[in-house]
Amino acid sequence: MKKLLFLGMVLLLVLSTSTVFGLELGRFDGTTIKACFIGGGDYEKIYEKFIPEFEELTGAKVEIVYKGNGFDIDKKMKIDFASGTVDYDVCWDHTSFFSQYLDFLEPLEGYFTQEELSDFSQKVLQYCQKNGHLWQIPRHADVSALHYRTDLFNDPENKKAFQEKFGRELKVPETWDEFKDIALFLSKPPEIYGTQFAGKEEALSGRFWDILMSHGGQILDENYKPAFNGPEGIKVTTMLRDLYQAGAMPPGMVNFLWDDVAGTFANGNIAMYTEWYGWYSYFQNPEASKVAGKFDITRQPKGDAGIHGGWAGAHCFSVTKSSKNKEAAVAFIKYITSYEPQLFEGQIGYIPVRNSVFETLIQEAEKSTDPLIKKRFELMQIQINEDFTPPPIVAEWIPISNILYPKLQAIMLGDVEVEEGLNQAAKEVALLMEEAGYYD
Amino acid sequence: MNQQTNLMAKKGLKKPSKSDRNLSWFMVIPALVIVAVFIVIPMIYSFSLSLTNMNLLKPTSTQFIGFRNYIQLFQDEIFWRAFWNTILFMTLAVNIEFIIGLFIAQMMFKVTRGQGAIRTAIMAPMMFAPVLVGFQFKWFFNDQVGLVNNLLYSLTGDYQIIPWLIHYPMNLLAILVAEIWMSTPFMVLIFLAGLVSLPTEPFEAASVDGASGWQQFRYITFPLISPFIYIAMVIRSLDLGRAYDLVRIMTGGGPANRSEMIWTYTYRLAISNNRFGLGTAMSFITVVVSFAFVIFLFRQLSKSLQEVY
Repeated sequence: MKKLLFLGMVLLLVLSTSTVFGLELGRFDGTTIKACFIGGGDYEKIYEKFIPEFEELTGAKVEIVYKGNGFDIDKKMKIDFASGTVDYDVCWDHTSFFSQYLDFLEPLEGYFTQEELSDFSQKVLQYCQKNGHLWQIPRHADVSALHYRTDLFNDPENKKAFQEKFGRELKVPETWDEFKDIALFLSKPPEIYGTQFAGKEEALSGRFWDILMSHGGQILDENYKPAFNGPEGIKVTTMLRDLYQAGAMPPGMVNFLWDDVAGTFANGNIAMYTEWYGWYSYFQNPEASKVAGKFDITRQPKGDAGIHGGWAGAHCFSVTKSSKNKEAAVAFIKYITSYEPQLFEGQIGYIPVRNSVFETLIQEAEKSTDPLIKKRFELMQIQINEDFTPPPIVAEWIPISNILYPKLQAIMLGDVEVEEGLNQAAKEVALLMEEAGYYD
Repeated sequence: MNQQTNLMAKKGLKKPSKSDRNLSWFMVIPALVIVAVFIVIPMIYSFSLSLTNMNLLKPTSTQFIGFRNYIQLFQDEIFWRAFWNTILFMTLAVNIEFIIGLFIAQMMFKVTRGQGAIRTAIMAPMMFAPVLVGFQFKWFFNDQVGLVNNLLYSLTGDYQIIPWLIHYPMNLLAILVAEIWMSTPFMVLIFLAGLVSLPTEPFEAASVDGASGWQQFRYITFPLISPFIYIAMVIRSLDLGRAYDLVRIMTGGGPANRSEMIWTYTYRLAISNNRFGLGTAMSFITVVVSFAFVIFLFRQLSKSLQEVY
């Protein structure tokens, strides 16, 4: 009888709490967790593999009510929040977007222990917080490294000519000033352009931010006044304009987005540029890329402030304030951002945000015949823990970017002078922030 | 006596009684209700939103601000650039599609063998989603690896990097080419339907009188299919007034707002920048302009109907 009672208690314990990867998830039989997630490509593999396991462990059902790309989700969530039609418990979120949704999200700090958060990159977690609350839990991150053509940098003729022209050795740039010199030097258009950047939308504003912060500049000062039109901003914009107008960047660049810049580099037309890590397998595929085996990666150049550029972002998960199943929603987030799912995502190409996952990936990479794979993971870990810096955590970042990037384009195209263009943008941003109530 | 009463008297019809008139009003009530629910009420609601400062992220702090959004737009240089770009794009696209569409329809009408296969081939571009067409033409006009620059190189032997999507008006021209490729088949379809429905007697009589092919087209075909032409132009004008997908994919309205159109700018204001009130005001201006345009085209249509019938 005692044995039966003991077994019964054990069974009850197993049914009432589901422990996985050291996490206490709890049982949520009969609960349906509705989700609004990023979809497409490799983003969905984690759902296919781990949602059924979560359902088995907890008894909850996960129903994905919407899947779309990040910008579509942003649009949907803003409209749903504004019209009060949110019908999901968990939503995709992002370090660049979350500050727009604060009124509609559940603060998460009360649901997580310090121990549960300790394995995450603290730098990434720092940018998941605002106003003293934790609003989202990171899933994976993105930060960019300098990708450069080893064949061009090691070419004896290039080395000799560079030495003659600049009186120093041709080597991978460590500062943005060196970067500019080398980009101009290596340009032989239309075959080779010294560099490129994605030239529109947030892709351009973000790169501007990348270099601006490395020079010690800011988009907004501590009083939320525009600060990007100071000396640092002028220096960055002048570099962009000079490189574009000198033909060291492809003429069509001001219409390029991510796939365009990756395609141009893979086509062998670019000497060096800053790029996200996600394109690695494409660049190393000799059937699709002319630069396979001919490039290397390193940390981004430093600016005048001695800082490495680190424009970054992290894909995250949040719980909606209107959710009726917050405990279950949090359990799902804990599970999907735990070690195993993150390792799985790291193995298919995403940058994990847990240090334990990096350690495993680096150990696995030691067995690879491609030494760049190990170097890549080590570099990622350094950047995620040291360089990771998203744009200003304000709800107005995308509207600010929408003001800024057409002005940057106009400056690069020669429609307006550097200082005048930046001042015009600053004036519009100040008006935007004033209307948003920052100066009341 | 008005024209309608004269016509009725001529046809031997009695003036409708009061009960007939009441019945006729009763019969149109469902249509009026549908129009009110799906058109009038949303229009009034959207107009009322355009008089507010509604921000998508702060919907509860929406305030009435009168016509401030409209004043701001009329003072906005980018709005006017988007407005005139849209008008220019619409005018060029509709007219070029009309000319090419009429030419192709006329040629197809004359074809006696394999007409089904040719019609299917001609209609193929209509089957692609505008987003796909946008990506396809963006790649064609890519200055580095695009088909157009490579084709020019093959023809001339001179390797020129022409940044089609960057400089105005070349970027507008590139979008125009994509739009014409995608939508001309619609014009062909309507015109072909018009040509098939034409009576044969006027053409036989004209042939007997010795009219040339051009004269038959100019004085018989063209006037008889003009109602079809106006209908096709109205539909295409309204479509083009809302041009978004192609522009968004090919240039995003840029660079530096050079190819901005009304709807790319409206989207940026209302959704990306969260300024829903301002975006609604901009859409409302577009709706009013479109109404004016449609009224003009419908007047032309009724004139041509009176001439034909």
